[in-house]
Amino acid sequence: MDLAFLIESAVKVLIVLGFVLLGVPLIVWMERKVIGHMQDRIGPQRVGPFGLLQTIADGIKLFFKEDLIPASADRAVFIIAPALPVITAFLALAVIPFGDTVRVAGRDVPLQVTDVNIAILWILGTTSMGVYGIVLGGWASNSKYPLLGGLRSSAQMISYELAQGISLVSVILMTGTLSLAAIVRQQETMWFILPQFFAFVIYILCGIAETNRAPFDLAEAETELVAGFHTEFSSMKFALYFLAEYANMMVVSGIAISVWFGGWHGPFLPPVVWFLIKLSLFLFFYVWLRATFPRLRYDQLMAFGWKVLLPASLLNLAVTAVVLTLASTR
Amino acid sequence: MTEAVLFTLFSVAAVLFAFNVVFRKNAVHCALHLVGVLLSLSGMFVLLNAQFIAAIQILVYAGAIMVLFLFVVMLLNVKGEVPLLTPGAAKGFGFFFALLGFVELLWIVLSSNGGGEGAPRPAAVLPAGFGSPAEIGRILYSTWLFPFEVTSILLLIAVIGAVVLAKRKFL
Repeated sequence: MDLAFLIESAVKVLIVLGFVLLGVPLIVWMERKVIGHMQDRIGPQRVGPFGLLQTIADGIKLFFKEDLIPASADRAVFIIAPALPVITAFLALAVIPFGDTVRVAGRDVPLQVTDVNIAILWILGTTSMGVYGIVLGGWASNSKYPLLGGLRSSAQMISYELAQGISLVSVILMTGTLSLAAIVRQQETMWFILPQFFAFVIYILCGIAETNRAPFDLAEAETELVAGFHTEFSSMKFALYFLAEYANMMVVSGIAISVWFGGWHGPFLPPVVWFLIKLSLFLFFYVWLRATFPRLRYDQLMAFGWKVLLPASLLNLAVTAVVLTLASTR
Repeated sequence: MTEAVLFTLFSVAAVLFAFNVVFRKNAVHCALHLVGVLLSLSGMFVLLNAQFIAAIQILVYAGAIMVLFLFVVMLLNVKGEVPLLTPGAAKGFGFFFALLGFVELLWIVLSSNGGGEGAPRPAAVLPAGFGSPAEIGRILYSTWLFPFEVTSILLLIAVIGAVVLAKRKFL
């Protein structure tokens, strides 16, 4: 572990950290603007050019807001809970490759914080830990609506994790590796969206449910649960939940890009630019869904996860395994 | 050096978390400290070159099973401990099991090094691909195929049992 390696890693960590922290306000602005136009409104336009500084202003407001902790809340858990989803989101981002290997000062630097050989399991593990932030936030508030929101989300995320994991397994069967960098490298000639289209559809539906985004945002259904699990959180604690939601959207999009859409592969433009273009399209897709679909009812959500997505992902896995076996024996 | 530091860190963390699992009064706090134990153990698995097991440990135990534990604990809303045994009986059982654990550990320690000269044995040479998903899969489906299949039947029985229990009120 030499000095150059340490510096290289530190710089990459800072780049990813800075990108997410600066990117999230931009995504929030994009979301408000896009939804505004889709609903025949203008969206934010007063603060800065095109309302670009609106999210910054909101951030400053949250930063200076009084930090309330309810008297009956479980103090320790209440303070720790908002940090958990942010931590897990950043841990997951560490294994997503955002560009090809580049030569800097005579060293080959892969544009990825770290290439672990179990990257996909690592991501599944960290996202499964992200549930705690929401469940504990709901419980620690010691109030009925947050608790209901937290319980809903824990059931939801556990149900959808299964189908999500199995949809990833069908791609792993084709690639024979769990490393995201290796999976991206294998897609130079053909993106896996072609042979594994159904796996992608299942994955992205589960991904939306995992990030608690509309139409699966039952954990914070404002029409029935006030604001769900984060009702009692104010100031930076609320901001952390907010940040985690958008960082997790980036994680889900980043995996979808790396596994099904060729990662940083693309003609003419540099790899990093291609990754950013694909990421923006995915985030736009998220916003588009939110503006289009009404929220599911809780029983619909559970029935959809267990009776549609899980059998579909298992069927896809079985078909993939049979086809691969037939292809290899021929 | 790094390994020794990390091992100390993870093992001390695991023991402290484990103590809290036992001594905390609030059931949710106990469950959370159990998550801490599982995460520390997963760190130790990585130090043992078993990354796959470490990831599965986080994914299955810390990420899924413990969330269900919490789910149940929160729904039951356990306020304090409900003593199952009288204090005297509890102490008796505790002493018995502690003694059992101690004897077991003593037996392992005495039989492992054979009372040798105390010099640390050379590190075992790991076979190629040790701990990788491919190698684990190969061993699991060849050498340990029978136990694996027995376990799968056991799990199937458990699943059917759960369905029967949950469905009973509708029949």
